[in-house]
Amino acid sequence: MKKYLIAATLLLGLGAAGAALADDDDCRVPMANWQPREAVQKMAEARGWTVRRIKTDDGCYEIKGRDATGREIEVKVDPATLAVVEFEYDDDDDDDDDDRDRNRNAAPTGTMKPPANGLFMPGSKPVIE
Amino acid sequence: MKALLSALALTTALTVPALAIAKPVILTTNMNRYGGDGVYLALYVTDGQGTYMGSLWMAGGKSKYYEHLSDWHRATAGNLAEINGITGASVGAGRQLKITLDLADALFDAGYELHIDAAVEDMRDSPSEVVVPLTTTGAGQPVGGRRYIRDFTYDM
Repeated sequence: MKKYLIAATLLLGLGAAGAALADDDDCRVPMANWQPREAVQKMAEARGWTVRRIKTDDGCYEIKGRDATGREIEVKVDPATLAVVEFEYDDDDDDDDDDRDRNRNAAPTGTMKPPANGLFMPGSKPVIE
Repeated sequence: MKALLSALALTTALTVPALAIAKPVILTTNMNRYGGDGVYLALYVTDGQGTYMGSLWMAGGKSKYYEHLSDWHRATAGNLAEINGITGASVGAGRQLKITLDLADALFDAGYELHIDAAVEDMRDSPSEVVVPLTTTGAGQPVGGRRYIRDFTYDM
């Protein structure tokens, strides 16, 4: 019983350490399960994205390019499932807090359909000032 | 085939009038001068019991920060499909976010509430900083926020 408890504690400790070290943005997929780059390209094109570059970063595929409306995007993708792990619009540079007057609200104004969640008028397009 | 067509006609006739009634609603959020980076805002709708119905807008383009919009994130598990097409940039301190949306008429005077979660890098998260019932009488009346939001108004 004691041995079992020690083993369990040890395992728990290891698990916690693993969780503490893991970064949310990382992918952990054995190389054998990686899909080829072409699959990533196809997945991006199916979503209407224009791909400029596909590289690997933190164990994920990373796509740089533009979305269907032409906005700059950077997307991390799980190499096995091709599920989106992290999505960034590159026009949202919130890392600096200076007061330069540039268009912070660069948004897909009147170009994209909202999700069909029942709240929006079907076919309507959000407008942002 | 004919049965299918008439069934389709019937369901279309039933659904279209309800959907066709919509009004442009202007959502205006004014930020405080809180002295920090751009604020991330999630605007979404719940029913009277607080059950998430759907999102209206996401201000902030990086998904890794969405967990800090904690009420929204709990309700959606951070699903990006919830905000596809309604994602804009974060809003600077002291700035204004003004969005015009064609919203279903059925959202008003039916017990629904609009929530705004707010979060700023290296500052405290502020879930449901604004919670305002969606009513025709409440339109045009500014509601104050707690931390980052100076006031919020919806106009029809």
